[in-house]
Amino acid sequence: MSTSQRIRRSLAGLALAAGALVPLASLDASAQSEAVPPTGMICSTGTVSGTTRTFDLVASAGTIDTPDGNSVFMWSYSPAGGHFQSPGPVLCATQGQTVVVTLHNNLPEATSILFPGQDATVAASGGSPGLLTTEAAPGGDVSYTFTAGQPGTYLYESGSDIAKQVEMGLAGALIVRPALGDDYAYGDASTQFAPAREYLLLLSDIDSDLHHAVEVGATYDVNALRNRYFAINGREFPDTIQDNGSALLPNQPYGALVRLQPNTAADNRPALIRMINVGAVNHPFHPHGNHTKQIAQDGRLVASTEHFGETIGAGQTEDFLLRWDDADNWSPTANPLPVAQPNYRNVFFKDGNTWYSGSPYLGYKGTLPVGTTSQNACGEWYFPLHSHALNEFTNYDQGFGGMGTLLRVDPAGGCFGSPTTSSLLGGTLKSGSVASLGQSDDVYYQINPRTTTRPTATTAGQTSITVASAAGFPTTGSYFVRIDNEVLQVTGGQGTTTWTVARGQLGSSAASHTSGAVVTALATDWYGGFGGVPAGSTNLKVIYEGRNCGVTTGTTCPAITTNLPQQTVKICNWSLGCSTATSPGWTALTGPPTQPQGVGSTDVSSTWTVPGSPSAYIGTGSYAGQIRVLVHTQRYTAPAPATFATWGDLMKIVYDAP
Amino acid sequence: MRTSVHRGAQALLVLALAVFGLTSSASAATVAIELCAVPGTAPLPGGGLVPIWGFGTPTTPGDCSTASAGLPGPQLTATAGDVVTITVRNALPAGHTVSFEIPGVAFNPGPTDAASGAAVSRTFTAQPGTYLYQSGGDAGRQEAMGLSGALLVRTTTPNQAYASATTAYDVESVLVLTAIDPAFNAAPETYDLHNYRATYWLINGRSYPDVPAITAATGQRVLLRYLNAGYDNTSMTLLGAHEQVVARDAGVLTNQISASTETIPAGATEDAIVVVPTGTPPSTHGFALFNRQLHVTSGPQTGTSPIGNGMLVFIHS
Repeated sequence: MSTSQRIRRSLAGLALAAGALVPLASLDASAQSEAVPPTGMICSTGTVSGTTRTFDLVASAGTIDTPDGNSVFMWSYSPAGGHFQSPGPVLCATQGQTVVVTLHNNLPEATSILFPGQDATVAASGGSPGLLTTEAAPGGDVSYTFTAGQPGTYLYESGSDIAKQVEMGLAGALIVRPALGDDYAYGDASTQFAPAREYLLLLSDIDSDLHHAVEVGATYDVNALRNRYFAINGREFPDTIQDNGSALLPNQPYGALVRLQPNTAADNRPALIRMINVGAVNHPFHPHGNHTKQIAQDGRLVASTEHFGETIGAGQTEDFLLRWDDADNWSPTANPLPVAQPNYRNVFFKDGNTWYSGSPYLGYKGTLPVGTTSQNACGEWYFPLHSHALNEFTNYDQGFGGMGTLLRVDPAGGCFGSPTTSSLLGGTLKSGSVASLGQSDDVYYQINPRTTTRPTATTAGQTSITVASAAGFPTTGSYFVRIDNEVLQVTGGQGTTTWTVARGQLGSSAASHTSGAVVTALATDWYGGFGGVPAGSTNLKVIYEGRNCGVTTGTTCPAITTNLPQQTVKICNWSLGCSTATSPGWTALTGPPTQPQGVGSTDVSSTWTVPGSPSAYIGTGSYAGQIRVLVHTQRYTAPAPATFATWGDLMKIVYDAP
Repeated sequence: MRTSVHRGAQALLVLALAVFGLTSSASAATVAIELCAVPGTAPLPGGGLVPIWGFGTPTTPGDCSTASAGLPGPQLTATAGDVVTITVRNALPAGHTVSFEIPGVAFNPGPTDAASGAAVSRTFTAQPGTYLYQSGGDAGRQEAMGLSGALLVRTTTPNQAYASATTAYDVESVLVLTAIDPAFNAAPETYDLHNYRATYWLINGRSYPDVPAITAATGQRVLLRYLNAGYDNTSMTLLGAHEQVVARDAGVLTNQISASTETIPAGATEDAIVVVPTGTPPSTHGFALFNRQLHVTSGPQTGTSPIGNGMLVFIHS
């Protein structure tokens, strides 16, 4: 292994260990011309003119990287004028379209493309007749035209010297979508799937000795073929679980991580897994966690059957629907497992690395042994999907590797997080802790408005006052306090004990107050801090549930039916700063429900989708992965301000981790 | 046990019905087939001969010196309902017992093996389908040497493979798939099978271009009777058309599948029907049917590109 390879691989390991799945936009160099989702099948759509779809391909040589640090010489089809990639681009067309595939041959020998499973005439122009189809000479061109036939999953591959050229990697996927819609696998209603969960697993096998012989022009005995690498989408495990377009694998743009969420009543559509075997070996493929339901072979529907293992023959395609129904709804509080969990110390973690969350419950994280690195984002589950010919679940005979990937089951609705820290930007802790915000369980995190006293008497016209302590009052920005029934606005001296104030605010009247009068903030301001949210997370939502009580002492919550405290929940935009309650970074969540909202002595639960891109709210650098959510509650109605305390029951974030 | 006259008469009646074939087709007959298991040679693609053990039909009944080994063995045919007796004479080198078997066929009770120089007869009532007959002796060495062949049991309905009308065809093609490792064939008794490595991939004992094309006109239904007499599960790709897989191991499928690449397990048979497409095939030679495990080479590979064409055949008009 060269030094540069070693460095590259250790970087890969580092990225994995940190769970830092690189955002595509910043690092993806060239494998894809447009931004692509991190997982799922990536269609190349070609250029469309009327009902004709044209793909321009180049057959050329390049290299791929394997997880053991090797670099393997490959031949592949790549987009004309684009970057070398292995396998060839996923050609997507719609049933009935005229498909034109042009091929320029940059290989040192004649090559061609076969379209197995296309039963209409594939008309060739240019090139010259070969044994199986029309070929392009070295440096030459050929183009193939056909009408995209019945919907389904197909392959395309070399039709020239196939024992050498297909083994060298000249293959790819051809997807024909039905007229019924892109979210149907076939022209049959039973084949509808969730478009965000369309996956392709293209299997291949590589004898690196043959590839080396081809690279250096040496002879090679194909009778001695011994495959050493077994790939899904051109990558070997664990590279298979890297994102689409990962900069770590510039010539292997297609990831193979399969992600699911439990089906819900609102979205009952399964995932679609298209499988193609472009290798020369029949591969027995085996999902863990749930059976897959085979619906088709070679682009034709079959009587569907469920499988926990299915052999995909060389050159075959098979389509599967996969769903996750959380049948048992295990939950540590509502529906605990009927058996004791093993002590975490008795659970074996290979090499100090795991994808296990530490908890058997979907969506929960638990304790892991000290020194264990977990790749788990938010209590999701991971299952292997792999070739059960276990010699293929290796990289050059070292396991695990090769023809394997992971099935990742995310919690229903996405990942969620509970606050792990809390901070009072304005207020005094009455009782409870941040842990009280973890569940909706009538255990509350209780905050009173901050109070202090005036050491001296106050006149009605006085605009500079001293207070016994500024602790717990906002340190910047204007805010309101009250003394007796008068509201004052603090406009200067924040953070000190000498304040500049405006008198008689919010409809109250300036008045004199006796020495020792209590100064009470009109609002409570506090935030919950979340950690471990991966960069690139999407679909970020904030959930807050709480109430306000009419007293600042005791454990009961007297009813508030009028003059409801006004609650505004905000999220920190890190680029603008959130150090104090009035910092500009605190971004009010936009409704529905609209804010502020009056919240009395009954719990009110609200869910907001954050405004704009979630990336603004996910910290970076020393705040990496952090999110802060602030609750601002203010109560005042002239002429008689009333006391209140804020009781938080649940604070939570939900997001789709990358 | 005492048997009443009445019950005895009933038994005789059943026996009579069976003997005269009245319980099945009126055309059922008694068929006698004689085979010899003999050493011989077979031509290799690219030239040369390889020693084989194969089945042959003696031209003089009972005299295996008049039989020559075939790769595959002679194609046997019968009609559904026929009572077939196959007599196999063992003319292999001394020390090898022939154990005659036809997976999927239930023989009448009787001896299973023919010792060296002896014969064994197996009798059965033929059911429609494609069957592989073989000798299972020497733990697979005899099959690897070539002791296998096709038995076709046809229905009484012309051009229909099974009772189901979905199995009607115009053209029949029998494809016996085998592989050869010449090094094994040169020393079948002593060769270490751990080192077995086939280098020839054959259809009916030949590889392309020696294997004759399947000739059928546009729109005709071609019945492909696959028999995998080789040692690995073989995936065959058909270019330019799907084939309807109608039966496996002589059993009609309840759920037929339409495949462009079909895997025929080692030792299995499959029947598939291709309707010859109206379009132009991708190749000037026709619609290719080839071994997708890329066993499309023949013999020693000494060049920078593969040599030979292996398991490949074309369908054309």
